[in-house]
Amino acid sequence: MLYGFVRRQRQWVPKTVIAFIFAQILSGSMSVALAQQAQPDPAGIATGDKSAVSDAAGNPLVVPEPTDKTAPDYKQNRKAFDDYQAQASKEPIALRLADSVGHMRIATNFSWTLLTGYLVLFMQVGFALLTCGLVRKKNAAHLMMLNFAAYVFAFLAYYVCGYAFQYGAVALNAAPANIGGTPTLDHFLIGSGLWGFLGGKGFFLSGPAYDSGSLCLTLFEVVFMETTGYIIVGAICERITFWAFLLCEVFIGAILYPSFGCWVWGGGWLSQLGTTMHLAHGYVDFAGSTVVHAMGGFCAMALAVILGPRVGKYGPDGKPRPFPAHNLVYVVTGTLILLFGWMGFNPGSTLGASDLRISVIAVNTNLSGVAGAASAMFLWYFLFGKPDITMACNGMLAGLVAITAPCAFVSPNSAVIIGGLAGLLVDAGVLFNERVIKVDDPCGAISVHGYCGWFGAVCVGIFADGTYGAGWNSVGATTYLGRAGQGVTGLLHGDVRQFVCQLAGATLCAIWAFGATYVVFSVVNKIRAMRVTREVELEGLDVPEFGLPGYPEDVAVGVGP
Amino acid sequence: MKRIDAVIRPSRLEQVKERLHAVGITGLTVLEARGFGRQKGHTETYRGAEYSLDFLPKLFLSLVVDDELLEPALGAIIESARTGAIGDGKIFVTSLDEVIRIRTGERGPAAI
Repeated sequence: MLYGFVRRQRQWVPKTVIAFIFAQILSGSMSVALAQQAQPDPAGIATGDKSAVSDAAGNPLVVPEPTDKTAPDYKQNRKAFDDYQAQASKEPIALRLADSVGHMRIATNFSWTLLTGYLVLFMQVGFALLTCGLVRKKNAAHLMMLNFAAYVFAFLAYYVCGYAFQYGAVALNAAPANIGGTPTLDHFLIGSGLWGFLGGKGFFLSGPAYDSGSLCLTLFEVVFMETTGYIIVGAICERITFWAFLLCEVFIGAILYPSFGCWVWGGGWLSQLGTTMHLAHGYVDFAGSTVVHAMGGFCAMALAVILGPRVGKYGPDGKPRPFPAHNLVYVVTGTLILLFGWMGFNPGSTLGASDLRISVIAVNTNLSGVAGAASAMFLWYFLFGKPDITMACNGMLAGLVAITAPCAFVSPNSAVIIGGLAGLLVDAGVLFNERVIKVDDPCGAISVHGYCGWFGAVCVGIFADGTYGAGWNSVGATTYLGRAGQGVTGLLHGDVRQFVCQLAGATLCAIWAFGATYVVFSVVNKIRAMRVTREVELEGLDVPEFGLPGYPEDVAVGVGP
Repeated sequence: MKRIDAVIRPSRLEQVKERLHAVGITGLTVLEARGFGRQKGHTETYRGAEYSLDFLPKLFLSLVVDDELLEPALGAIIESARTGAIGDGKIFVTSLDEVIRIRTGERGPAAI
């Protein structure tokens, strides 16, 4: 048996190596073809110069040369350019100083983006504790291993092709100016121009993606993708086999997450609807209520439907039975760690501390979380006579999920309203899943991340007050709705089109996440059952799947002296 | 020799132990147990699903006494475990054939 295993290994290794070399050659030839264009900057010594210097309002120091002679403001721009050139030739030392200032600005933004990325990485601990606390003791080790493996395997898939699919064309329509970087990722694999569907550069993070600016973005984005990866654990735990779970993670990291991520954040078609279809600023999701959370929530829903409810969840009378949380200390600790991590998730999504909106974002995020916890807790109290600790925690996460898309565009008052409504929605969603459609979701992932994620993206279209996001998705850089500096604006502040765009985009996310997952994994489930056997489920998954219980002292076995 | 088994409230253990000490009992075994009697359980909800807590946590005490210590020991347990509310527990007394101390091999009352 061991020999067979080794042989299989031997057959595998050359294939992997060949695939890797092929990809290296491919990306190498691409960078040769682009030799005359901008080169990536792996050492980071050419990233951040005077072109990155701007004032607080975002006006750059370096005035670009106007090229379009037919533009109405050509004369004015030409004069500004000439003035700048004349001034620059008189003060060469000032330009060298500006190079340093620009480098410092990019360095500050790098620090911010990387450190907030590490905070988001810490959310893995929160998810692991929260979900582990919510399941039964007999599945604790299995659940922790799911969370652990999610990070490992989804990361590898994202490295191979996920990042390239999501950001392979980011330089075309959505270059992240705050972290500098050489705009070399400029090719859509599927689609082109303003109608991009899948990025096509940067496979294996090599060639044009081997760049300090691009890899700064990679670190931040990979931990976001991982968040989608952990979300599904909450809905499919206590019954999925480990191998099937690994397939789910690879699917999310390689295809599902990068696809919608490309449409919204990689300069893809959804983000450009403002330019192409005159739908306000296009689809706007600041930090990922849909791109990250609804994506995970509805993917989890499809998997939970395919797997079916846990053994004994519904009695012969069809009534749901409770499987109480085995450790509420983990549940509350995990939730508070997630709140802390969210202080990286949302404010970090500016990709730069030079964007001072970060303070508003941080306060909005916190406020919405506490409002969600309060409203979910009180609604439960009125419905059932006692505040359920796990539902109060779900309420806090619901508020955080819902504010993730609108956090940069709304006032603190709106944040409280959004969080409060999300808290009510998460209660309703949990009861709806449990009693009406009977989709078994042990940790409430579908309601927290799916329903509230969808709601959050729609809230951008309702509550955005126009104080932030001027020129978002290349729409309204100078004036919008007849006002200079007007940013993303919602229904309540006079922009109906934004609301329509948000409603359509968020709903599309839900349908895409559910539909794609359902189709792919229905087929997988036909080929080989993704669920453990009834006997394994009754015993608990720890020992049958991994050979060791989460709490060995609970098992009466004779051990040495 | 008699064996006394007593089901008591977990919160009364310290008082019971002290009173038993006071009447000269030298050994006591405690098991954590769950059960229901006339007290019955009560209903709660968890994430929207109702469930009843039928089995309540209790302590199960087991001790062995020589015949003349039986009544003082029973009195000690009754006095210290009683709160007057439903759910105070029960005491069962059985006759015992033999007691052996494993370390020395002593048998009978000397081994208690």
